[in-house]
Amino acid sequence: MSNPMITGDQASPNFFQRLNRDYSPLVVGMVVIFILVLLFGAVTADNFLTWFNFKTIIRDAALVGIMAIGLTFVTLSGNFFLLSMKETAALSIIAFATCMAAGWGFPASFVVTIAIALVAGAAQGVLIGLGGNPIVVTLGAAGLFFGIGSWWSDNLVISYRRPHGAEWLGTGSFIGDIPNITVAFIIIAIVAELVLRYTTFGRQVYLVGANRAAGKATGHENFGMAIKCCAIASVCSAFVAIAFSGQVSSAHVNYFSSEFGSSGDMTIMVIAIVMVGGNSIMGGYGSTLRTSLGAIFISTVDNMMVLHGFNSGPRVLAVGLMIVFSIIVFALVRRGSRAVE
Amino acid sequence: MEKIKHWVTENPDLAFAILLAVCVYSYFAVTEPLFMTHRTGFAIMERFAVLGLVGLALTLCIIAGEIDLSIGSNAALAAVITVRFTDQFGAVNALLMALTISTLIGMIQGYFIAYLRVRAIVLTVGTLMLLRGVALFAAEEKTVMLTDFRIPDFISTKMLGYFSPASLLVIFMFIVVGLFMTFTRYGREIYAIGGARNEALASGISLKRPMIIVFTISGFCAGLGGVIIGLRSGTAQALGLQYLLLAGTVAAFIGGVSILGGKGGVIGAAIGTLTVNFLNTGLVFNVTPAFMVQLYLGVLLLIVIMFQTGSRVFDDMQRRRQLLFDVDNRRRILAEKIEHYRKQVPR
Repeated sequence: MSNPMITGDQASPNFFQRLNRDYSPLVVGMVVIFILVLLFGAVTADNFLTWFNFKTIIRDAALVGIMAIGLTFVTLSGNFFLLSMKETAALSIIAFATCMAAGWGFPASFVVTIAIALVAGAAQGVLIGLGGNPIVVTLGAAGLFFGIGSWWSDNLVISYRRPHGAEWLGTGSFIGDIPNITVAFIIIAIVAELVLRYTTFGRQVYLVGANRAAGKATGHENFGMAIKCCAIASVCSAFVAIAFSGQVSSAHVNYFSSEFGSSGDMTIMVIAIVMVGGNSIMGGYGSTLRTSLGAIFISTVDNMMVLHGFNSGPRVLAVGLMIVFSIIVFALVRRGSRAVE
Repeated sequence: MEKIKHWVTENPDLAFAILLAVCVYSYFAVTEPLFMTHRTGFAIMERFAVLGLVGLALTLCIIAGEIDLSIGSNAALAAVITVRFTDQFGAVNALLMALTISTLIGMIQGYFIAYLRVRAIVLTVGTLMLLRGVALFAAEEKTVMLTDFRIPDFISTKMLGYFSPASLLVIFMFIVVGLFMTFTRYGREIYAIGGARNEALASGISLKRPMIIVFTISGFCAGLGGVIIGLRSGTAQALGLQYLLLAGTVAAFIGGVSILGGKGGVIGAAIGTLTVNFLNTGLVFNVTPAFMVQLYLGVLLLIVIMFQTGSRVFDDMQRRRQLLFDVDNRRRILAEKIEHYRKQVPR
């Protein structure tokens, strides 16, 4: 990248020059918007800037955030997104609750659930890696998983008794009054970011996503990459399912459908987070850090709108506007570069 | 007989679709005594009215090499608007308003997809959420209901044995779109940008026009489907109708479209939709819960995709093998020639 600063005095570029050099205008814009939203919230809503509300925001962001971090791997590797996140979670929650209700205890149920999600993700990954369109494959898989989940549970609520092994994950807290699911979100965010930045696998994800032809030429086929990334995404949604089941001590396939949370359907919410966080949907550009920040951003806006007394309609509308806005801005910024096609 | 053979080799996908449809129909006709009756035929045509529209819209999108994910939300929005405003402005006005809004939404989507040069899935996943928000807003987060039930009665009047006004309208729509796709330049352009986009752009077809046409038709179909569902059932939910996307995609893929675009057609869409409808209706006879229908549809879609990708992978392997074989062959010929010359020329 040619930069006048390098030819000029190399002594010390000031803050704005360094900002301009190291970060794209998109990131700067997002951060500015985030700060503006925070300020607006702080000024207009009375109880926005309290420790309790801050914890609520992060806790709301945690469940969808973990799923979104898993999905980021898929998106970064250039396989768009999985439309089956919610259904994988539904299948996992049924598996987990069935095992818990059968008295298997937490560790065994956890392993079984994760294994099921791993198989589900890898199966989708195989089809995607062979060259199937990710959207259509996962659309079909979504119907399949949801059907299996409903069939397994007979479309009933499965519940298990309160003192159970998953309580520490769902509602417990080890550190002061911070819920464990928040801690898990932060740990997963940090680990994912480290993996993407410093491990060979992480760099391969970026390579395959940024330039599939180059990846193929250097021996990094999309086949293995798609399997690994889909498995990661599925395991993340299974983890969320387990945590959620631990909170409510029960399971039903519809827990992650439109009734969940405020803003419509969980899959679309997760995709929204990945997009609003500023990851290129064509792959190769972005990070899980952005995804986590996107989750916190959406959750902040949602929280603020709740404090102002909005119903679910305007809130869904706001999230939708955020996605479309981020798509348009992203496309305009990257117009003319390779990442367009 | 010779003609049929020729036709089958010309259109293998369509032949497969017809075969599948006949198989599904005869399976249920044999196992369920009530399946092959006039009433069931009417019920199937009633289902065809909505699902056919969605299948048609998705077929067009996939022919153009894109996929419209926002179709369910668009239909839900149209349903909500129609049902909500029927009491205020009368059914016809409300219906026209909903159709106009849906068509405009489709047109704007198409314009932005062509202008920004993003893939349609990227933009439509955003509008999926956005339109759902608009629909929630329009319905005030409630299930809206009709008060005058003469309109649902009119929509489901039986005509000509199997048809109702709704399904006749949809069949007319199919014919018009089919003629448009086959015989007009604009229709052929849609095939061109789907099958070989770079080549089409290089030969001077603009991306904007076909894209806008495709998404306008898609928006119109989604809107009409939503209007029919809304008026027929008398109620509308802002978060409903999301199952349309899966069913429509299955119908389109059975009808013989390829995800790479440029393949398939309106007749295929009709047959694919009919197959899905036979399956749906037959499973209802079997007292199958709704989620099992979803499971079957998912499996069906995965099988079709597996076949498509499998055949593509197989083709690639075949081509590579052929290439390696050719290279080896030439090398051998060359080596023989060199050997030949060496013998001729003494050292």
